[in-house]
Amino acid sequence: MLLAVLLGSQAVAWVGAAESVLDSAAEKASEPTAMTKVDFAKDVQPLLAKRCYACHGPDVSESGLSFVDRESALAEADSGEHAIVPGDVDASLLIARITSDDEYEVMPPEGDRMTAGEVAILRQWIADGATWQKHWAFEPLTNPQPPQLVEAAKVAADQAADVHPIDAFIRLDLAESGLNPNPPADRRSLIRRAYYDLVGLPPSQREIDEFVNDSSSDAYVRLIDRLLEMPQYGERWGRHWLDLVRYAETNSFERDNPKPNAWKYRDYVIKSFNEDKPYDEFVREQIAGDELDVVTPETLTATGYYRLGIWDDEPADPLQARYDELDDIVATTGQVFLGLTINCARCHDHKIDPIPQTDYYSMLAFMADVTTYGRRGDETSNNQIDVSSPELIDQYERLDKERREVEAEKQAIEQAGIVKMSAEDQRATEDRKRDRDRVLRKNLKQHLDETQWARYEVLRDELERIDGEQKSLPPRESVLGLASYQSLEPTYVMFRGNPHSPTDEVQPDYPELFNVDPPQLQVVSSSRGSAGRRRALADWMTQDEHRLTSRVMVNRVWQYHFGRGIVRSSNNFGQLGTPPTHPELLDWLANRFVQGGWKLKDLHRLLMTSQAYQMSSSNTPEGLAKDPNNDLYWRFDPRRLSAEEVRDAVLAVNGSLNRAVYGPSFYPKLSAEVLAGQSRPGAGWGDSSEEECNRRSVYIHVKRSLVTPLLEAFDFPEPDRSCEARFMTLQPGQALSMLNSDFIHEQASKLAESLDAVNLANDELARQAIGRVLAREATDDEVASADALIVDLQTNFHVQRKRAVELYCLTIMNWNEFLFLD
Amino acid sequence: MTLRRNSRNSFCGRTRREFLWQSGAGFGAAAMASMLTQDGFFAGSAGASDAARYASPLAAKPPHFAPKAKSVIFLFMYGGPSHIDTFDYKPSMVGMDGKTVEVKTFGRGGHRNQGRIVEPRWKFAQHGECGKWVSTLFPNLANHVDDIAFLHSMTADSPIHGSAMLMMNSGKILSGNPALGSWLNYGLGTVNENLPGFVVMLDPTGGPISGAKNWSSGFMPATYQGTVFRGTGAPILDLAPPKDLADGVQRRLIDSIQEANSRHMVDRSGHDDLASRIASYELAYNMQSTAPEAVDLTQEDQETLDLYGINQPRTDDFGRRCLLARRLVERGVRFVQLYSGGSHNDDNWDAHGDLEKNHNFHAGNTDKPIAALLADLKRSGMLDETLVVWGGEFGRQPTAEYAEGSGRDHNAYGFTMWMAGGGIKGGVSFGTTDELGASAVDHPLKVSNLHATILHQMGLDPNHLAYFFGGLDQKLVGVEHVEPIHQIIA
Repeated sequence: MLLAVLLGSQAVAWVGAAESVLDSAAEKASEPTAMTKVDFAKDVQPLLAKRCYACHGPDVSESGLSFVDRESALAEADSGEHAIVPGDVDASLLIARITSDDEYEVMPPEGDRMTAGEVAILRQWIADGATWQKHWAFEPLTNPQPPQLVEAAKVAADQAADVHPIDAFIRLDLAESGLNPNPPADRRSLIRRAYYDLVGLPPSQREIDEFVNDSSSDAYVRLIDRLLEMPQYGERWGRHWLDLVRYAETNSFERDNPKPNAWKYRDYVIKSFNEDKPYDEFVREQIAGDELDVVTPETLTATGYYRLGIWDDEPADPLQARYDELDDIVATTGQVFLGLTINCARCHDHKIDPIPQTDYYSMLAFMADVTTYGRRGDETSNNQIDVSSPELIDQYERLDKERREVEAEKQAIEQAGIVKMSAEDQRATEDRKRDRDRVLRKNLKQHLDETQWARYEVLRDELERIDGEQKSLPPRESVLGLASYQSLEPTYVMFRGNPHSPTDEVQPDYPELFNVDPPQLQVVSSSRGSAGRRRALADWMTQDEHRLTSRVMVNRVWQYHFGRGIVRSSNNFGQLGTPPTHPELLDWLANRFVQGGWKLKDLHRLLMTSQAYQMSSSNTPEGLAKDPNNDLYWRFDPRRLSAEEVRDAVLAVNGSLNRAVYGPSFYPKLSAEVLAGQSRPGAGWGDSSEEECNRRSVYIHVKRSLVTPLLEAFDFPEPDRSCEARFMTLQPGQALSMLNSDFIHEQASKLAESLDAVNLANDELARQAIGRVLAREATDDEVASADALIVDLQTNFHVQRKRAVELYCLTIMNWNEFLFLD
Repeated sequence: MTLRRNSRNSFCGRTRREFLWQSGAGFGAAAMASMLTQDGFFAGSAGASDAARYASPLAAKPPHFAPKAKSVIFLFMYGGPSHIDTFDYKPSMVGMDGKTVEVKTFGRGGHRNQGRIVEPRWKFAQHGECGKWVSTLFPNLANHVDDIAFLHSMTADSPIHGSAMLMMNSGKILSGNPALGSWLNYGLGTVNENLPGFVVMLDPTGGPISGAKNWSSGFMPATYQGTVFRGTGAPILDLAPPKDLADGVQRRLIDSIQEANSRHMVDRSGHDDLASRIASYELAYNMQSTAPEAVDLTQEDQETLDLYGINQPRTDDFGRRCLLARRLVERGVRFVQLYSGGSHNDDNWDAHGDLEKNHNFHAGNTDKPIAALLADLKRSGMLDETLVVWGGEFGRQPTAEYAEGSGRDHNAYGFTMWMAGGGIKGGVSFGTTDELGASAVDHPLKVSNLHATILHQMGLDPNHLAYFFGGLDQKLVGVEHVEPIHQIIA
């Protein structure tokens, strides 16, 4: 097995060989050796997909050549020659073409040349016989068992008698490469890691001390259990899910109007994590919560999943907009639940994966009963599900019907008057209600005849009566979701993705690559009027033997714990994704996950009790030299806090964090400069109490055109598309907001106040502030620096003591130690 | 205040290593990590140093080929100026006012097949050696037609502000895609890390509709998004320390933070992100002096201020912003976007009501400053490497929107934009609309052609500038091959 290939670098190092594990692996592996075998899945297939498939792949076979399978690749091309002749590098035209110096000959014709390393891989592979494997992710799950480590490797790796199954998989590869895994992290780093990972908040000094001093063997396991039971667990892990489903509470575009009750979907997600809802159930509820055997307000809330995307209330081309909306759902569903970029097959067959265009439209056909989010003028009927009692619903509906009739008549009269008004007045009636009402109040009467006006007044009284009656009713409860259904029409493959060019009709069907029978569609839950198609999709996606659903989810959980997935491209398990670093481990985890009832909390326990998770994050020269990307997990990857963790930690350490769970979102204070970017500064942004503003960041109102700057600076995801993994940038905007924003100065002041900092001696202040912010004892150096800083500020810069101690508190919250986890 | 030598060495005294933060986000996102420092790392606090260099997402990158332009100034006439009242001369419409004609239009009022002609409300005259017809709305700008290439056959996919703004800024009618400026940041990086690479300056009446979506970096890291720059006060959000802090306090605080960070790094060798974060504080500090200097117009002489119409009530705001744009470009900013008009209705070029009142106002505010910008760039030799782009998200219809009045609805079937400098031919008019200006006729151009031309002048191949996301190589110009407008390239 080829263990480390530094693709793209000038010097290609071949390290390690399976045979060397038993005899002084470390020594051997440190020297580049001749490559013995190339791994098709890891080394060759990604190259072919990335560099060749666009012209010689599933969609196009230029010059009669395709590399999708061995038969096609070995076949005679239009030229009469062979691209690949197994075992004969010189006769293989592929090698000649990728190494050609002739600019008309060289392949690929566009983009960078293949590197020396890439050429070497292909040469070796052909020399070895050009064997082919099917793409791992499109094959059924395998049933690997944790390897029995050979004695030498086991002892070298760890003295412990029982090796955690995850570590068994990981250490096999480490031993082969001659790397040793890091020793365990110190207890303090470990508890901090566990707290942030599971609940997104820092442990207090007391909690750390208790853990550090608890020598019982199950102290760590109990810690994990305790964290998993905290409601903050759902807030932290729910947010991961919200990234994936591009959760936002507004529609984007000109008006960027709010999506009423979107927060109930957010709470549904948080609750589902807190209750350890089996993942298969969680999937079924979101895909078909309105079509399950038992439909509840909760499962209806889950269908909010279909309502989270962007929505143009004023599309230039309504049919295009309808298909764009469905595309957004198909793209998100494919990537999030299946790790498939089905969306790439909208206009033509997928260029890389075996997903023909018909697959895209067959998938779209499952969603055929999903109505558009709304209509301009009625932004609620399609998406607000009334979950109140039937009697109350009836009463409201009767009044609503009356109101609609009265409104329609009233507006007709208004329009009759408006058309006689001046252009400016006409224009004013078309936009803001306030302007319209003003014009109507002032000018309507004079443009109506007496009969019209008399009728108009009657209608106004009538509306008042209806409003009064409705106000006397108890409020009804609505949730965001699928509140109405599109009547079924045939679904067609659209020529080049153009919704105005339908071609062949398709039926709802699973992607071809799964090689399963088409769904047996029955009309289910017709009482609500849905088509039953999404139920079939949901049932299929959550079959125990489904080859992607479980793999994709365990990979995500792994990613959120370890910083990167076993498959790094966690939304793309296709051939342009990154191959798994530990494929057997992935399948083993997926099997465990399904056999254990798709339970996430068990999965957390399993992952976190591995030594791989508990390792130190320290670097070793050998590790950095041989595996700088840590593909093999010789260390635990350190990380910066996420946007929410930064803000929540600041609130936590100064004692102002409001831990209230669930409920409507809040609006943090935004400065005038930030609001100035809006066409109507302040529009769509509310005013929340200080208490509300001290809640956790997951409860911040997500307005698509106005993302809270502090969160944005720390890589809060753009909410229009599914985010599989957040960026982790380190840029000056972050420094500026942590040094100068109103928010950080307020919080620093609160921290100082909570410590009574003004009245403490500088050394005592340093001890207490560091204790609070970093949850550890201050060192002598730190105490001396604190004193030097505060004295300097007071004497040389003439800063008042109160402000000087606040500024000191602010500096600690800027330390790398506060923002990074070991 | 100095940092101890040994602690500094722990992160400065080593060779740079290729380092990719593995965000797990696939090919495109692999390298979006560390912010680097420039030469003189820590110069402010610790004297000379051995200048570590880290891979920055904004580090200058080589273009695909030799560029003609180094910077772009995009003068965004938000709301949609009427082409037939400005640069697209329609002599045959003279005398047709009020006539009902058969003409297909599509605007916010929907599709129509006929309408009442609103004759262009301004007189046209020929200017320059090229003899370009320009209306009296732009008396100053008319003197520069020999430096300008007019694109009369522009079309857009939407005649609705929301989606059309997104289209002009990001190439797509749907939100969530990176803006043109973000693509340039991504493709070229910046040559001055002390300033943002993509700057947006808004109209005093407010931002455009959809606000920050217009300068979003979409699926790319936020590092590439536009930074809103203000001409008064602190130019950038949170740039200035709170007012009560005396000079030097911020430096002292940063020194204290860096001292702690250096101690923290001692046991964490090889953890490049820690060093990158340290560097980001130095960069932030440098920005605090660089950005205010860039917006300090007291460095300009009176003649220049007068040229731009600064301190004259109508032109003061846009004049200042045009002058700031020149100063930012001089300092290496890649992409500066100025909005003429903000908020809604007649606060921008969206002349649905009284066309004359609206366009007299907005043209009067911008004509002199824009002419000054071209003149100023030209006299300093900067016009050759600065691409100036003018236009809105669409144009306006030849017919009236309402039964009465001169207001025109939106028109995405044909409209005018222009470009100057940055290797673009002067005195050229390309493409035409029909005799009413209702639709593009000769050489219809898409927004992607405009974007392709801008990228091309900046040294980037529009069909190769790609970012892998969502399973696709995403491009500003879309998946189909797009040609720049070769006919206007010098």
